[in-house]
Amino acid sequence: MTKRADLLRDTLEIVLAADDSFPRRFYELLFAAHPEVQPMFRSHSPGAQRKMFAQKLVAIVDHIEDPQWVERELAALASTHAGYGVTKEMYPWVGEALIATLAEACASEWSAAAEQAWRAAYAQLTRAILAPSSR
Amino acid sequence: LVLAWSLDEPERLGESVAVHTPASLGRGTALADDPARRANFERVRPGAAEATPAIANARIARLQLLLEPVGTDALRVRSVGRALMRINGRVASDELVRAGDVIEVHNAALFLVVSRARRMPELRNRVTWDFPFGQSDPFGIVGESEAAWAMRDALAFAAATDRHVLLLGDSGAGKELAARAIHGLSVRCSRELVARNAATMPDALLDAELFGNVKNYPNPGMPERPGLIGQADGSTLFLDEIGDLPEKSQAHLLRVLDSAGEYQRLGDAKLLRSALRLVAATNRPVDALKHDFLARFTHRIVVPGLCERRDDVPLVLAELLRRIAAKHAPLAERFFERRAGRLAEPRLAPDLVARVLRHPFTHHVREIERLLWLAIGTADADYIGVTEAVDAELRDAEHATADAADIDRATLLAAIAQHGNSPTHLAKQLGLRNRYVLIRLLKKHGVSTGPSDSGEPS
Repeated sequence: MTKRADLLRDTLEIVLAADDSFPRRFYELLFAAHPEVQPMFRSHSPGAQRKMFAQKLVAIVDHIEDPQWVERELAALASTHAGYGVTKEMYPWVGEALIATLAEACASEWSAAAEQAWRAAYAQLTRAILAPSSR
Repeated sequence: LVLAWSLDEPERLGESVAVHTPASLGRGTALADDPARRANFERVRPGAAEATPAIANARIARLQLLLEPVGTDALRVRSVGRALMRINGRVASDELVRAGDVIEVHNAALFLVVSRARRMPELRNRVTWDFPFGQSDPFGIVGESEAAWAMRDALAFAAATDRHVLLLGDSGAGKELAARAIHGLSVRCSRELVARNAATMPDALLDAELFGNVKNYPNPGMPERPGLIGQADGSTLFLDEIGDLPEKSQAHLLRVLDSAGEYQRLGDAKLLRSALRLVAATNRPVDALKHDFLARFTHRIVVPGLCERRDDVPLVLAELLRRIAAKHAPLAERFFERRAGRLAEPRLAPDLVARVLRHPFTHHVREIERLLWLAIGTADADYIGVTEAVDAELRDAEHATADAADIDRATLLAAIAQHGNSPTHLAKQLGLRNRYVLIRLLKKHGVSTGPSDSGEPS
């Protein structure tokens, strides 16, 4: 777990240091692949949405070794996302856009190990969000 | 360090971290390998300090700055995180900073270095100030600095005594808000405050304005008026720019104060009485007022300018922007974020905040307001930042202050002796940018130009 957490943190630090527009790129990729989700993001302005996304992502990675914290946060996320009309099918779309953005921003420092760590972490988080106890 | 701007956590402005021993500053809670104790943020108010959560700003590294006190007035700051650090606009990695310096963690946060006690003393007056941290108090005063709280305490004390009050302070420092606070905290608060600027009253009508008049007196066609003194019966009369009141009118007003509120309207033989309390304000030296008139003001309260409470500048900026957004929907739409459908923080560039934090203020809150409108009016994007026009304005003020710094007291006194005491003329003769720079210089050297010193609306 610690090794994977370190890998997640390291890649995220590289991305945040290299590219100020990382959250903007994430939404560009997401909306390009799945334009139907764009109307769900209207209650926040794009700038606020990007800040919230970056802050939440960083907080989750910071606390990835604290299951109680993560569980609490994900329960809250699950509830707000359901309110916005997010469905089960949409979570993989977000995961693909996130990993594509990370890979693009990390460029030559992106590795198969990093991709595997992110895919595993994202799958775990999605399972927790979609678990009946979180809904 | 006082948080002056934060990209991700704009609601935390004004929070501070005390650095009395070496400290590590970064996102989140303490790390196992922190080289020094983690700096914790607090919301400091008189007699209390509320600990706030760890920084959650995504752009600040988990270990971003190392802070170490050096001597009694300096702090060594080392940047160890991924984000670039600037001190007063210059890129730096390891530098000594002092009070007034501005530390920027690139595009993440700004911190103002201040020198103050770790804890703010308790207020001496038992008034409950119930308003959210960093926002304006019920009277519109914005500030969490020690100077702002000391002023609130003095206003509360004066309010409870029901004595006449003289407010001293620069134009734009907030003297009218202070007067409103005195009235609002006093037993007279159920009556409306009567406020008037003495500088705007025409000389010929001064007595009629102050004391009122009967119909058709002194000029045919004049309506009957109660006058400010009559209007303020049972309430508070706030006279701004009292220094602009001619000596004769000061003497008339003095008679009212001396005779327990007795006065006569113009053209009326009847003696009237007004139970008023006078709160007056001036931005001139107190010796510009008649000596015996000045003596009637039991309390003299100095309203501090923004140079004396720079840690409040970010809060004042935020409050002014909130007011602009509330009144101008198209500007709110263009320059503010929305969260959950509601108006949220402004898109404010950190370099603008950093420059304003170091600005040599002459007109304080009014000056910030003007700079903000200039920045908004000349913005070519969807954020409020340092445009060419704003840059020129800020540079002008910096140069004017630098020029004024070269003029010593002896030169100033010699210039007054040679050229007289008209501020506009004197400023021109000394090569200063305007009379406001001269007024600051006079104040700095404790020099008064006497009663003919022309004032300005406050």
